Amino acid sequence: MKVLIAEDDITSRTILEAILTRWGYEVMVTTDGESALAAMQQTDAPQLALLDWMMPGMDGPAVCQELRKLKRWNPVYLILLTSKSDRKDIIQGLEAGADDFISKPYNNDELHARLLVGKRIITLQNELQEREKLQGVLEMAGAICHEINQPLQALSGYSELLLMDFDENDPAFATLKKIKSQVDQVGQLTRKIMNITRYQSKPYLSNGKIIDIERASQ
Amino acid sequence: MSEKRILVVEDEQEICEMYAMAFSRAGYSVKTAKSAEEALDIMVKTPYAVLYLDLNLPAMSGIELCRQIRKGWPMSICFAVTGYASLFEITDCRDAGFEDYFTKPVNLSDLMAAAEYAFNKIARWKKR
Repeated sequence: MKVLIAEDDITSRTILEAILTRWGYEVMVTTDGESALAAMQQTDAPQLALLDWMMPGMDGPAVCQELRKLKRWNPVYLILLTSKSDRKDIIQGLEAGADDFISKPYNNDELHARLLVGKRIITLQNELQEREKLQGVLEMAGAICHEINQPLQALSGYSELLLMDFDENDPAFATLKKIKSQVDQVGQLTRKIMNITRYQSKPYLSNGKIIDIERASQ
Repeated sequence: MSEKRILVVEDEQEICEMYAMAFSRAGYSVKTAKSAEEALDIMVKTPYAVLYLDLNLPAMSGIELCRQIRKGWPMSICFAVTGYASLFEITDCRDAGFEDYFTKPVNLSDLMAAAEYAFNKIARWKKR
């Protein structure tokens, strides 16, 4: 899992990066609030972030606040690193949008455990999001299939009936055969759509995503 | 030889007419109904042994209609024809007593094969 670190102090930053890498995280390092906020808005940005409270310019709570305002397509879990331990400060951090706190100097085991909590929450939120997306896809698939299959049934049936009326040597017979074959192709597509069981998208044009019907219906 | 009669229950006019043409052409006598209620009225007056029911009907659904037909006329054979088939619906169809299940667009040859199968089955039951 990717983790973003925002820490202006070089020693703390280097130690954090080393520990997190050792624990198997893919670490993205930033040195101030502004660059952390920018990094968290990139495509494929980390969903887990360790933000130092005190940073020049934008501090940790401000980054949390800005991130919460964004309409991100996926959820984030934000942990503030702080030497502050006042109840007032904790409340302020949580209200700004942080999910958790780690007090400096931190204990490695505690840091590990808290990161795992974040990972667990993100996994759950991602799963929930996938389920909601799938539900939307299925409802749309149902509506589309129903609306398309009705006229398709009439097209398919009438072309079959017409085929019975024409002699195989009649040029119209071959044309009708083509129509029927195209209708059958649309029918196969709606069958695939009806078999969608998971949310699976693929890139479309430069920024877009579309449902990958082939893979989602396997 | 007794006439082989089929009742088609489908609310889409175009599809209804197309089924009627196809079954008539295959030598069956066809009656159509636009709703489950109309189908039940017809069944009370003149019961049909083989029925094709659309599942998505206005008011009473095809599944409920099948349940009522199987209750009132246990020897009748019902086929489901639907525009959208979820696995959940297939289970419901079997439970309601449908003989088989077709997803639109269905080829006429499949519908004809189902009719032939149903009438053969009925003939066998009659002979015992």
